[in-house]
Amino acid sequence: MARMKFLCDADRCIECNACVTACKNEHEVPWGINRRRVVTINDGKPGERSISMACMHCTDAPCAAVCPVNCFYTTADAVVLHSKDLCIGCGYCFYACPFGAPQYPKVGNFGSRGKMDKCTYCAGGPEADGSKEEYEKYGANRLAEGKLPLCAEMCSTKSLLAGDGEIIAQIYKERVTKRGYGSGAWGWKTAYRESIES
Amino acid sequence: MASFGRFVRLAFGAWALLLLVMAAPAPLGAQQVNPTASSVKEQQLLQELNRIQGRVSIPDQRSGMLEQPQGREWREFRNVTLRWIGGIAILGMLAVLVIFYLSRGMVKLESGRSGRTIVRFNAFERFVHWMTATCFIILAISGLNITFGRPLLLPLIGFEAFSEWSQWAKYAHNYLSFPFTLGVVLIFLMWIAGNIPNKVDIEWAKRGGGLFGHDHPPANRFNGGQKMIYWIVVIGGGLVAATGYALMFPFYGTGIEGMQMAQIVHSIVAVLFVAAMMAHIYIGTIGMEGAFEAMGSGEVDVNWAREHHSLWLAQKTGEQGSSPSQSGHAAAPAE
Amino acid sequence: MLIKRTHQRSDRRGTVAESLAGQGGGLDRRSFLRKSGLAGGALAALGTMPVGSVRKAEAAAAGPLTAGATIKKSICTHCAVGCTVTAEVLNGVWIGQEPSWDSPINRGSHCAKGAAVRELVHSDRRLRYPMKLVNGQWTRVSWDTAVNEIGDKLLQIREKSGSDSVYWLGSAKMTNEGAYLFRKFGAFWGTNNTDHQARICHSTTVTGVANTWGYGAMTNSINDMRNSKTMLFIGSNAAEAHPVSMQHLLESKELNKANFIVFDPRLTRTAAHATEYVRIRPGTDIPVLYGMMWHILKNGWEDKEFIASRVYGFDDLRKEVEKWNPQEVERVTGVPGEQLERVAKMFATVKPATIIWCMGQTQHTVGTANVRASCIALLMTGNIGRSGGGANILRGHDNVQGATDVGLDIVTLPFYYGLAEGAWKHWSRVWEVDYDYLVSRFDEKKQMETPGIPLTRWFDAALLPKADVAQKDNVKAVFVQGHASNSITRIPESLKGLKALDLLVIADPHPTTWASLSVEAGRKDGVYILPVATQFECTGSRVASNRSMQWGEQIVKPIFESKDDLEIIYLMAKKFGFADKMFKNIKVENNLPVAEDVLREINRGSWSTGYCGQSPERIKAHMKNQNKFDLVTMRAPKDDPEVGGDYYGLPWPCWGSPEVKHPGSPLLYNNNLHVMDGGGAFRPRFGIEREEKLADGTTRKVSLLADKSFSKGSDIEDGYPEFTLASLKKLGWDSELTEAEMATIKRVNAANPDAVSWALDLSGGIQRVALKHGCVPFGNGKARMNAFGLPDPIPVHREPIYTPRVDLVEKYPTLPDAKQFRLPNIGFSVQKAAVEKGIAKQFPLILSSGRLVEYEGGGEETRTNPWLAELQQDMFIEISVADAADRGIKDGGWVWVSGAENNSRARMKALVTERVGKGVAWMPFHFGGWLGGADLRKNYPAGTDPIVLGESANTITSYGYDPATGMQEPKVTLCQIVAA
Repeated sequence: MARMKFLCDADRCIECNACVTACKNEHEVPWGINRRRVVTINDGKPGERSISMACMHCTDAPCAAVCPVNCFYTTADAVVLHSKDLCIGCGYCFYACPFGAPQYPKVGNFGSRGKMDKCTYCAGGPEADGSKEEYEKYGANRLAEGKLPLCAEMCSTKSLLAGDGEIIAQIYKERVTKRGYGSGAWGWKTAYRESIES
Repeated sequence: MASFGRFVRLAFGAWALLLLVMAAPAPLGAQQVNPTASSVKEQQLLQELNRIQGRVSIPDQRSGMLEQPQGREWREFRNVTLRWIGGIAILGMLAVLVIFYLSRGMVKLESGRSGRTIVRFNAFERFVHWMTATCFIILAISGLNITFGRPLLLPLIGFEAFSEWSQWAKYAHNYLSFPFTLGVVLIFLMWIAGNIPNKVDIEWAKRGGGLFGHDHPPANRFNGGQKMIYWIVVIGGGLVAATGYALMFPFYGTGIEGMQMAQIVHSIVAVLFVAAMMAHIYIGTIGMEGAFEAMGSGEVDVNWAREHHSLWLAQKTGEQGSSPSQSGHAAAPAE
Repeated sequence: MLIKRTHQRSDRRGTVAESLAGQGGGLDRRSFLRKSGLAGGALAALGTMPVGSVRKAEAAAAGPLTAGATIKKSICTHCAVGCTVTAEVLNGVWIGQEPSWDSPINRGSHCAKGAAVRELVHSDRRLRYPMKLVNGQWTRVSWDTAVNEIGDKLLQIREKSGSDSVYWLGSAKMTNEGAYLFRKFGAFWGTNNTDHQARICHSTTVTGVANTWGYGAMTNSINDMRNSKTMLFIGSNAAEAHPVSMQHLLESKELNKANFIVFDPRLTRTAAHATEYVRIRPGTDIPVLYGMMWHILKNGWEDKEFIASRVYGFDDLRKEVEKWNPQEVERVTGVPGEQLERVAKMFATVKPATIIWCMGQTQHTVGTANVRASCIALLMTGNIGRSGGGANILRGHDNVQGATDVGLDIVTLPFYYGLAEGAWKHWSRVWEVDYDYLVSRFDEKKQMETPGIPLTRWFDAALLPKADVAQKDNVKAVFVQGHASNSITRIPESLKGLKALDLLVIADPHPTTWASLSVEAGRKDGVYILPVATQFECTGSRVASNRSMQWGEQIVKPIFESKDDLEIIYLMAKKFGFADKMFKNIKVENNLPVAEDVLREINRGSWSTGYCGQSPERIKAHMKNQNKFDLVTMRAPKDDPEVGGDYYGLPWPCWGSPEVKHPGSPLLYNNNLHVMDGGGAFRPRFGIEREEKLADGTTRKVSLLADKSFSKGSDIEDGYPEFTLASLKKLGWDSELTEAEMATIKRVNAANPDAVSWALDLSGGIQRVALKHGCVPFGNGKARMNAFGLPDPIPVHREPIYTPRVDLVEKYPTLPDAKQFRLPNIGFSVQKAAVEKGIAKQFPLILSSGRLVEYEGGGEETRTNPWLAELQQDMFIEISVADAADRGIKDGGWVWVSGAENNSRARMKALVTERVGKGVAWMPFHFGGWLGGADLRKNYPAGTDPIVLGESANTITSYGYDPATGMQEPKVTLCQIVAA
């Protein structure tokens, strides 16, 4: 069974934000909710690098561990999903998440949190695959169609890789070998407790 | 493990090299600017700062926090440490109270009821107390639900029911925080005069508050124990309110690490607060005869007042207060 | 209970995963993703497609949504990389975008804009119906009313002020067919005042490059840069302006260990990936390039053989280069000699090397000279006409190359035939219309043969005294179809121009700043807005930066009341009564000219540029067979039945008629290939010999033809001039012409058939015969280092009009005042006055401008797209840490920026960064809708205002025009910044 992961090759990321708008487009994500974002480190200085970041679908996901209502689940593909029916919008997953992935629509009074929203790895939610309910709550379910997340598929420089962890690690390692240096597989140590820097 | 060691050495070596390169002075411009070779490295940043912060173009600057692995420590606190602290504090207090009750029983009015009463708390004071108390109880239950509900309650009632209940509990927790906070503020203002610690409290504390035996150390309107409760309510209430609002209004003047810290403070103070209030409730109800009336009808029996708040009664009635040495038969534990 | 995964699904997922895993380690990213995409397709065929969005829900009343969705392919409209957009359409609704794996150009990828194009079509902020300004209020009118009223008013203006008094401003976003018809429309209306965005983006490239070696276009392709060993970016920020190109460039960097060198005043996002970054002072490209050449010549790194056989004017150039010793270069540019020597060595010796440029070089008063200097560097090192080298000029709009080629321009008829009588006669033959009729449409014959007014100066043409404008009257009306006004410099002046016009017509999917600024200018009437469809609602061909032509299908029908560009052109032509003549050979269905017919007409007339072989059928076959083309060579296998041997998109020149089956020319001037394999030579476009004056007063004649160099397999093994019937006769090849071809040639020039050339021969026979003999129809000449005829035949450094280095102005002044393009260019006087008035003291910071990845051009459509607008919500100016500290400016704080002219000022946020050096500030140029601190949102028709508004960079930009093209100067001016 595949173990789905994301890998952003920082040597390739040019902060074009295609991943961000592809995500918005595919799932009709509303203004203010950023399931994926690109963060630039050392902006404007030599050494500047940008990283596209969303939910990394961690191994032993912290969000799932701290959720007071246990609304997270991990699919057979190791994608970390949650049920918006169960979520109470407490914000705990945001405190625990190493990557700032959980997003909360501002609903109700005093801008308090609504149901949490995050990257689904284009894998929908608990509803039936491809159902209207699933789309409205979580967006498209590309994985069920045998497609990978659109952010990675549309990445301008093939910096953002998605797919089975072993395969994308292999692709990345080949790149590292060819160019002679690594770019760090940002987040892998934190998310998957492994490093593929050669 | 060996490869990990190698990695650490390599990473450290690379870092040291980079530092050397960066430190090497070179005339501006003549130096080769190779942005690729000088690109930032994740592990180096994590080692230096334990978090990686960058720039994003969206106004939501908090999303510039790329990585904060310390969420892991917070998770450890929330899932393990806090449950131990909370468990020990609450179950411990419960155990102490049970043991105390079993060994001491209800503190009786030694001199019996006089039939005459005296006003201890007026209607407004009682209203404030009960508003705050009601809020507190709901806040405590809904709060404990966040920490203990998942292991304890969820398996019993199932996902849907538990989420439904938790959702309402969250609303209640958020909304009732406002009257609760108001109550704390009013309590602070209303009773501050009687709650400044003084010499009497030292004597009272030395005599164990009369908890044991039949001692009745003299006390003003509020004895040492009550003053403790007062300050627990004011300081603890202030802390949970402040940290609670930090969590309720995310990112207003705080960042992710601030919110983690706020949650830690909020939850620890809250469980200790709950434990303290359990004692307060105990002594105000089944722990002491005649005590509940103070907040019930607002009027207490004069004998009760004499036994537990001799100085206050004296002040109220002009009666000469019994000196500590004279009154050897009154006990006045904290309400 | 929470673990949903059904058995069936897990199995299915497993299949995909296993099929992926089964590919083993040798799988590259492309085939990996592609395979998964294919797997997806296969699953889709099984009917397991998902139900969809609200919009998807709207599209399908009941049942599984994407079941039955059709796939349409079009081309992204946001830059010239040429990314294919794959659309899923259901019941007329565009419900989703899928990666376009098959395109060899984008291989599934997009940038932020490309990944968000679906919203452009569905945007509820688009114009819905025609409107006109009545007493300052936008009022709905019908199309009939609008066309009639506009037409009547234009005829009235024509009557009074002449045909040249109407300015027709077209667009690089139109298809080839749209742009071509717009130019043709200009000819039938009777003016050369027809222009489009190329004026302000690569007009200097077109002029400078064409004057060097024949054609003004990117010589190689983005894919070909996968062969480069050294990539030199001067004035290109590809990472933000052409993000998908970076896929190929970064892979080249990785696979070839290529040098990735970026020259830029800013440490751009492209520079962040460089192996060497060189910070230069804005406006000093020529000294930097000469500084490199100085080292190349000093060390003998030049390609002597290449220069001897294929280059003219090397000695003249050497004299200029010798002036630029390292000390002088450093004094002028700030780049130390040591660094430049290192870069020069890489560029000259680690070959193939390419220069990549964009608007950083072109948008200057010395733009033409800048690009010439780049061409010269390539010629000197023999890096042109070979794979991995070349002038990789990245163009800005999806069809700016095509729109330029089809002649939507002020200096030429379609396909660079020029404006001389012969050119008009050629096109009158193609159009089958009397030459005399065309003459009659103009104010006078002289105007017909005189270049028009550049769009950069439409407002000068409206405002200057009538005597200063070399046509019958000032510009009185502007008809703008698809061009932003905030892309044009000197907005405070253009505001006066907007007020002065009798009529303004804005045809666009969005109201644009033409609308908001015309209201701000005080107009109460005389403005019309016509809703135009986006290109995704139109059919037609577009030419990417690499000259590949791609066919875009109509994804959905025009939304609301918007109309296709072609239909609007037809309606106006009909109103003016020349539709029958203009569309004589073009089928028109319900007022909509058929795009395929237009392209066929283009094929019939475009011999000079080789659009002649690109029939709609061939182009459509390429779109259908995208997956057949190789990633690096872009060529399809020879045995493919439909596209065998073709290069993707038949990059022009695609010689001969479509039947000749020329494969296109992926690399220009490449003499390592047979001409029928896309080989070529430099075009002898400027005579075959030149008389040079020698020092002793005598003269000598120097050949401009190639010397013993020729394309592979050529029957003529030396340089040769262009082919004419006469030259065929001389070679004895005329007998190979068919009777029909001969008859056509005789029809073209009955009086003197021998003079009919490869470019005028409507039969294509002359080209066919030349190709048969392995010869390039246009001849085989030398490229010119000395481009005699240009204002500076050898590029000369000239300080910007507004320069902080007033000490250099005396030595490097701008060219003297002169009359160009019907208007006076008083750059010299402005520069002199600026020095005398001490402007540089008052405004000490250099202000430059450029692109953001999220927005495009004037930005109205992208700022209307919420997915993009969310990512850049505020106009800002980058200011260096030191300059900000001096001024007490905080990162993210508001500042006032004031400019050197018109007391201009603008309010925006400061971005304090090390990206720019001390003394330099930089602004993105996409914002509009604010002016001088005031929000103009109320000026837009209700509900059509873009989500994000902001100050325009061009409020601050100032005077300065390239003498050869009328290019504006938005890259260097002066400003002052203070905290607001």
